[in-house]
Amino acid sequence: MQHPDEGTIHSWLDGALAADEAARVEAHVKECPECAATVAEARGFIAGASRILTALDNAPRGVIPAAAPKKRIDPWVLRVAATVLVVAAGTLLVVRNTGNKSVAGFSTSEEPDSAPIPKPLPPVSVQADPSRIKALGSSQTSAGSMKKGAAKVATSDTSTAAQTLAAAAAPGAVYSAETRAPATQAKIPARENKVAVGQASGAVAERISSDSGNADSAVLTSQSLTTLRLRGANSLDDASQQPLLKVVGTFRTTGATVTFYEVAPGDTVTLTELTSTYLESVVTTAVGMSSQPRQAAGKAPTVSGGRVDSVVAAPSPQSAAAGVARSATPSAPTPAPSVAIANGVTTISWADTATGKVFKLSGRMSETRLQQIKIRIDREKAAAAAKKSP
Amino acid sequence: MTDVERLFRTYNAALVRYLTRRLGDRDWAEEVAQETFVRALRQTSIQNERAWLFAVATNLVRDEARKDMRRRKHLALLAEEERDEMVEPEETTLERAQEAAMARKAVDGLAERDRLALLMREEGLDYNEIAEALELSPGSVGTTLSRARRRLVESYEALQKSQEEREKNAAS
Repeated sequence: MQHPDEGTIHSWLDGALAADEAARVEAHVKECPECAATVAEARGFIAGASRILTALDNAPRGVIPAAAPKKRIDPWVLRVAATVLVVAAGTLLVVRNTGNKSVAGFSTSEEPDSAPIPKPLPPVSVQADPSRIKALGSSQTSAGSMKKGAAKVATSDTSTAAQTLAAAAAPGAVYSAETRAPATQAKIPARENKVAVGQASGAVAERISSDSGNADSAVLTSQSLTTLRLRGANSLDDASQQPLLKVVGTFRTTGATVTFYEVAPGDTVTLTELTSTYLESVVTTAVGMSSQPRQAAGKAPTVSGGRVDSVVAAPSPQSAAAGVARSATPSAPTPAPSVAIANGVTTISWADTATGKVFKLSGRMSETRLQQIKIRIDREKAAAAAKKSP
Repeated sequence: MTDVERLFRTYNAALVRYLTRRLGDRDWAEEVAQETFVRALRQTSIQNERAWLFAVATNLVRDEARKDMRRRKHLALLAEEERDEMVEPEETTLERAQEAAMARKAVDGLAERDRLALLMREEGLDYNEIAEALELSPGSVGTTLSRARRRLVESYEALQKSQEEREKNAAS
């Protein structure tokens, strides 16, 4: 046999030759030192080329899909969640007390909150340290502002806050008898209940249960509390056991970390995290109403970015006004960060005001859906961050 | 599970890696891969799925490359500016970054057909699939691959050598 050419040798090594030809090459290579050398060299090229190409994937954790790690519930998360529950309880209290006084245009209620107010909530004891409660205390009133504004603007804005409630609901219900008890005693107007439950389950499990009407009874009965508890628990399960966002891969380039999430089969989004701050101006939509409440809410794991602040920040009149303005324009529900649509790919950009990092989230989907995904990413990141902290 | 879902689950990782290596931009690669699956949605039947997907992705890159040339250049400039301002991420050691840069250079130096054949082979496409995707004769795939591998390795080694010399000069 003639010496096989280099192409044939590669074909042979790649297993691409027909059986009879492969046998011929093999036999020849055994006999021919010259061809044996070529084969050895070819093996080197194959391995070398492979290795070089791998260097192109210069992504720290590689481009190979990695499933998001399973989340276990961290005690710290529970503590924060419990703390948030205090805020929720406080919120309801404040809302009850101020409900009929109608805070700055928020009472757009058609039905007056006529539920009886029996007595103030007994002191709530949770295993969160006082300083944290104090910090969050300042946002109690603020969360109250969510009340009706939230009902009107059922968007990502509110669901972030609601999601906090949901997170609080589950551990609170399961682990903290003390926190649950006062809630049972308090007769809470059904409207709030509905908002909280509906939004909460909607945010975490991404579905607004049609049966949130359970809460329609004028008083939060133990039955509906059970519903709340169950939903909360379910939501937590959903969030902790079946991470909805599968990290398909991460890729770090100069100046940016890119993460790919599979939000649904065949549906991926790209989160780009830039470390420079030149896009900061993009988020000035919320700057007017942020600052001080953020510090208060900063302890809560789910809060990030300026927009959330607008939900949490009620005390200042201007944010109340903003809330009203937003309720009045249903067609533009969120003070969205910058949005760009190109080639069917929608990209939203925002900056984390705490870190100055600029984020871009893009995917072939509507902006609303991206906003929802953004919230989920925020939440998962916060959970991850919480896990890292001692 | 729909067919496209199955396609996605089966091939997305390989396709994105292929495109990332081809384009040097993971973001872009992901976009092109998504577009490829969107095209697959519109297809009533695909004979050889893998060959089809890689061929479509390759063509999309070709089309987009023209359109995006200017945009990319602008982005590259921005990235350059940014690089001056930022601290290198911990995970990317200097050595790895150098390796990646040299690999990029070596790969970019290949003829387009050689490069694509090699990248496809790395993703597990067999000779027939590569031939189909690149419209080559199956018989020429071995030759194409052997040439691509040899050139890639040789040019990478040359780059390595000149890098080492530069370092030596800098040290002395």
